[in-house]
Amino acid sequence: MRDFQTSGGLLRALHPATLTRWLVSGPPTAFMLLFFLAPSLIMVLASFRFPGAFGGLAPLIGAGRAGEDTGLTLENYQFFFSDWLYAEIFVKSLVVALVSTLTCLVMAYPLALLIARSPKRHRDLMVLLVILPFASNFLIRVYALMILLGPQQALASAVNGLLALFGVAPVNLLFSTFAVIVGMVYVHLPFMVLPLYTNLEKHDPSLLDAAQDLGANGWQRFWRVTFPLSLPGIFSGSALVFIPVLGMFAIPDLLGGTRDILIGNLIKDQFLGTRDWPFGSMLSIMLTLVVLGLAGFAARLGRRDRNEET
Amino acid sequence: MSAGAVLPVGVLPGSTRRVQSRNSGLGALQGLALALVLSMLPLLQAQAADVLRLFNWNNYISQDTLDRFEGVCHCRVLQDYYSDNEEMLAKLAAGATGYDIIVPTGNAVETLIRQEALRPLDRKQLPHFGNLNPDFLKAFFDPGNRYSVPYAYTITLLGYNQTRLDALGLPHDTWALLFEPRYLEKLKGRVTVLDSPRELMAAALRYLGYSANDRDETHWARARDLIIRAKPYWASFSNSSYIKELTLGNIWLAHGYSNDMFVAAQDAQKAGRAFKVGFSTPKEGAVLALDSMVLHKSGPRPDLALRFIDFMLDGHNSAELTNLIGSGNPNAAAMQYITPDIANNRAIFPDSDGVRRLEMLRDLDRLQRRVLNRMWVEIKLR
Repeated sequence: MRDFQTSGGLLRALHPATLTRWLVSGPPTAFMLLFFLAPSLIMVLASFRFPGAFGGLAPLIGAGRAGEDTGLTLENYQFFFSDWLYAEIFVKSLVVALVSTLTCLVMAYPLALLIARSPKRHRDLMVLLVILPFASNFLIRVYALMILLGPQQALASAVNGLLALFGVAPVNLLFSTFAVIVGMVYVHLPFMVLPLYTNLEKHDPSLLDAAQDLGANGWQRFWRVTFPLSLPGIFSGSALVFIPVLGMFAIPDLLGGTRDILIGNLIKDQFLGTRDWPFGSMLSIMLTLVVLGLAGFAARLGRRDRNEET
Repeated sequence: MSAGAVLPVGVLPGSTRRVQSRNSGLGALQGLALALVLSMLPLLQAQAADVLRLFNWNNYISQDTLDRFEGVCHCRVLQDYYSDNEEMLAKLAAGATGYDIIVPTGNAVETLIRQEALRPLDRKQLPHFGNLNPDFLKAFFDPGNRYSVPYAYTITLLGYNQTRLDALGLPHDTWALLFEPRYLEKLKGRVTVLDSPRELMAAALRYLGYSANDRDETHWARARDLIIRAKPYWASFSNSSYIKELTLGNIWLAHGYSNDMFVAAQDAQKAGRAFKVGFSTPKEGAVLALDSMVLHKSGPRPDLALRFIDFMLDGHNSAELTNLIGSGNPNAAAMQYITPDIANNRAIFPDSDGVRRLEMLRDLDRLQRRVLNRMWVEIKLR
């Protein structure tokens, strides 16, 4: 890109090396422009339009059918901001995503550490085992969870038997927020394990030896050496879990109880149920903004940490 | 040359069709079947010029009926499937063409008529039209039946574990079971309701004595409050898993569709459960969904399509579907061929008094849809 700013830009652009670079980076760039940027812009535009009488969008210009408003409007945004109801769903989804991400992290970290510190010949097999669940369809695995958590299964009987000892009324494991989080963690765990493992595997063992020589005990070696070095892995793993969880609708649909509506369900409803594309587009944009905001916040936090260290 | 005789491969897509159920959550089989059908498409067209393309609900026609029609018309019938009217409308809106016949529910028929996507019927080609029960003609979506011929219907009602309900001394035939805490206390955590704002609100509105199509927002608000009060007793919102949960005995009361309840009752019986699954239409009234055959304008073979419609109007052919899936049948001539168990079931074939308490849902306009959706979010969050 910088080449074009110099005086001989055009000539340089035709240089074989530059040409190769364009040939290599061109197709993916075009792909992203076509299938990411263009739909996003369509979505932004849709969020300022009226829904059509039969679903879809009302025309931007010209007369619509009976009962259709045409042109541009802020109505969708006004409806969103008119009270706290929709903000509540966002907060709730963020909490579920946060809890799922933290649970994934707590469960994945020891596992990733274990794999990274195993003998090399075992590691490939262990990584393979981590990604093995991907071999079967995710919906089938969620249905399997429904069976496991069902009220007449051993797990529910054991839990409720235990609760009965303390005089607590029996609970439903399935169709609860608990089940939603179990489902989220189960489906997304590999996305946390893999980046953590890739990071932890690269750590130089001599750093730990040095720390030991300087008198650090096991706990200190972990907190002062391994953990800070693994932060990039934690950040990327967390992003890979947090963001998909935020948009997930199938798991709350299948495992959730009567209160487990998340932002993903709300957006899906707008397109498939209510036929209100503009409102759905507006919600998607809000979600994107929230995710971008959080990512920006995390990036600034990370940068400040690094600045303080130096 | 008979098309059927030279086409042994045609058996293959036919046999995969049978594994599908209307509410199956497992899309893989469906996808496989669709892929098979699609891959056969060029082959079939090369060998048989006469192809009728049907865009239908999953498992919504008996294989025997199809085989007989193919024999009579010397043509092939190819089916594509949908599991939701919205899905069907969305596919058409996205440009899907070539379907001769579609079988949408009432309000979707209305949408298609208003979009001018349908071909008017040539009634002269339908000598068996008189077989239809007049109760199901002249529906709001097509008052003169210019475009639509009733095919089958379902009622949104209550399915239940009859053994449990009887043991608890609860009634079977009232929405109060779903909304009144004095009943729900005995059913806590054993109840599912449809995950559909229109259907659930319709049940609440009927219980409160309003029409399912009531548009008054204060009535909606009362229905919403009724739902929010009852919600803590419900296990979940469910659109299809209630069939399985009823047959397993996990759920004792489910708000759902009559043909699904028929399946649940049959499955429980076949599995030899110690309990019985039953279903009945609440006395306060309920929603009726009438599916009709319509001709899509993009279909290349309206002649075959009309032959098919008239074939399906024959009582024997029409009865086969009802015997297969327990759907309601708007065809008076079909009644004599329907298994007595089904024909005498008032939850599938209501008497004329019961018919009067059934209502078809009409489409809402955009602002009403949005207000209802907002109430739905409130219901889900509280």
